[in-house]
Amino acid sequence: MRSGFFKQKYSDLVVLTDSPAVKIWVALLLAALLGAPFVMSSYVLSLMTVILFTTVGALGLMVLTGFTGLISLGHVGFLMLGGYAYAIGVTRLGLPPELALLMSAIVPAAFGLIVGIPSLRLHGLYLAITTLAFAHIVSAGILAGGKFTGAGSGIMVERPVIFGLNLSSDRAFYWFCVAMCVLAVLVVLNLRRSYVGRALVAIRDNDIAARTMGISLVRYKLLAFLVSAALTGVAGALMGMYMSIVSVEGYPFLLSIEALAVIIVGGIGSVLGAVLGAVFIVSMPEVFSALMAGLGGRLAEVMTTSAHEVKTILYGLAIIAFLRFDPRGLRGIWHDLRHAWVFWPLRY
Amino acid sequence: MSYFIELIVSGLVIGAVYGLVAMGFAVIYKATGIVNFAQGEMGMLAAYTSWSIATTLGTGAVLTVLIAVVVGAILGLICERLIMRPMLGEPVLSVVLVTVGLAVVLRSLVTLVWGASPQKFAVAGADAIVNLGGIGMRVSQIAVVGVLLLALAGFWFFLSRSRFGVAMRAVAADEKTARLMGVSTARVQSVAWAAASGLAGLAGAFFAVIYGLAPTIFELGLKAFPATVLGGFDAILGSGVSGLVIGVLENLVGGYLPSTLKEIAGFVLILVVLMVRPFGLFGEKRIERV
Repeated sequence: MRSGFFKQKYSDLVVLTDSPAVKIWVALLLAALLGAPFVMSSYVLSLMTVILFTTVGALGLMVLTGFTGLISLGHVGFLMLGGYAYAIGVTRLGLPPELALLMSAIVPAAFGLIVGIPSLRLHGLYLAITTLAFAHIVSAGILAGGKFTGAGSGIMVERPVIFGLNLSSDRAFYWFCVAMCVLAVLVVLNLRRSYVGRALVAIRDNDIAARTMGISLVRYKLLAFLVSAALTGVAGALMGMYMSIVSVEGYPFLLSIEALAVIIVGGIGSVLGAVLGAVFIVSMPEVFSALMAGLGGRLAEVMTTSAHEVKTILYGLAIIAFLRFDPRGLRGIWHDLRHAWVFWPLRY
Repeated sequence: MSYFIELIVSGLVIGAVYGLVAMGFAVIYKATGIVNFAQGEMGMLAAYTSWSIATTLGTGAVLTVLIAVVVGAILGLICERLIMRPMLGEPVLSVVLVTVGLAVVLRSLVTLVWGASPQKFAVAGADAIVNLGGIGMRVSQIAVVGVLLLALAGFWFFLSRSRFGVAMRAVAADEKTARLMGVSTARVQSVAWAAASGLAGLAGAFFAVIYGLAPTIFELGLKAFPATVLGGFDAILGSGVSGLVIGVLENLVGGYLPSTLKEIAGFVLILVVLMVRPFGLFGEKRIERV
């Protein structure tokens, strides 16, 4: 009889979870995600696609800001680089889409290293400003790129055929996004629990102490930038495919803020947080506008005439409210709910 | 040559606006250790509000400027009391992100209330041309440089001579000790916010008068970052002066090099400066003892 939680095999020690309940729920969730296109309307499907690639991008920011504690206000720069690396790879260099997608991870990662170098000398807010400067420089560079980058008009991107899957239908693109999202979640989950992930968190909590314990700040800060930029770049490429065009206007500065909102609202420093945050932030304006339309009258009118403004105000208020009232974010609320469920009727 | 001088002069004008915003950044940073990302938005909201007040009342130039300052200061006090005060003692990251949230909210609020189309902020006598040594300048352009110099002098006096300025520096140097000495951190914070937003209001109003009133004024905040970073986040006077440097640099780059470079000239400059001096030109070097 099992008398405790003992690991008897090495393989037990490295599995992501040993709880059958978690395994069943994850399997159910995956099945639901994969089966969704058969039941959902195309509107909901496109919303879910947006959530999926937002999650990939949010995971990228999570590695940098959530795990390593380096604030980045320039993630839209990596997003843009990823999108453009893919578009240029496919249209200008004639690469196969698989290779171009790889490029969309490699190019931002290389730039991530460049931005990462100042991070070794800069602290906190100075770094945030540097990343902000980086994002501006990237967009200025793309605008100045002439024919090669499409300058102000951007580059049209057709939905590719990747690994034999034709992404031109929304359904196929959705499945592709599910696959990329699952891949990203697995990468970040495994990163977090490995030596590297613990090193990153140690740097976040106290960089001097981490250094004393033998963690090379140079190496791990740069690694954080590299991984983060690569993930974000892939998200940027997916975003470009989704919109069928990459342009400087397609990646507005507001996306940097939106990404921060996602990880704050979700809960900083956890993979679950990034996922929950992406679901919340992307669906919030839609739910809100549906609600307003339900109430009808003057409010519905405001929603339709200035949807963008209302949407941004909601982001802002969500950021402020979560930081002010529950800094743990949605993940914290989820934890409380789970505890309440498990221990009911006891409180603890 | 006259082209060069004109570039420098108009650079000083926009630089003075940057300087006012940058001083606001530095005031808040010095007193509370955070960067207020909503600074440009504060200026924008103050500019729009004072525009509404000034056009309904039909006030004169000096009064309009005063209204902008007062409106800015009141806005700052409200934001500080409602949003920032409860965040006292929270980690820096959270507090900074709250200001980011505030910035987003204010920005959309302005578009929601006043609409997106640009307006003309007409102030009596502001557009009159004055001939200064062969260069025609508008009164408002001369005034904004003068106001920056006045603000610099005022802050120098405030920080080094007045009791409250000394208290503010004490909080910046060591919050705990300052509190033990009987300085109220909360009050210092609210005064810092009021002063910074007052400066932002000034900058916003002058920018609106000179370049037109549009919901893109908030970009002043982004443009003024290089100035603050160049001067050092904790150097109030340094930030003000750096604003002029950035303004002139931007204009010279825009005048002689491709125009896309103008937008990023300031950012490129601070990247270089930060590589050499990570704490800005006039900032205090951070020393860590383990």
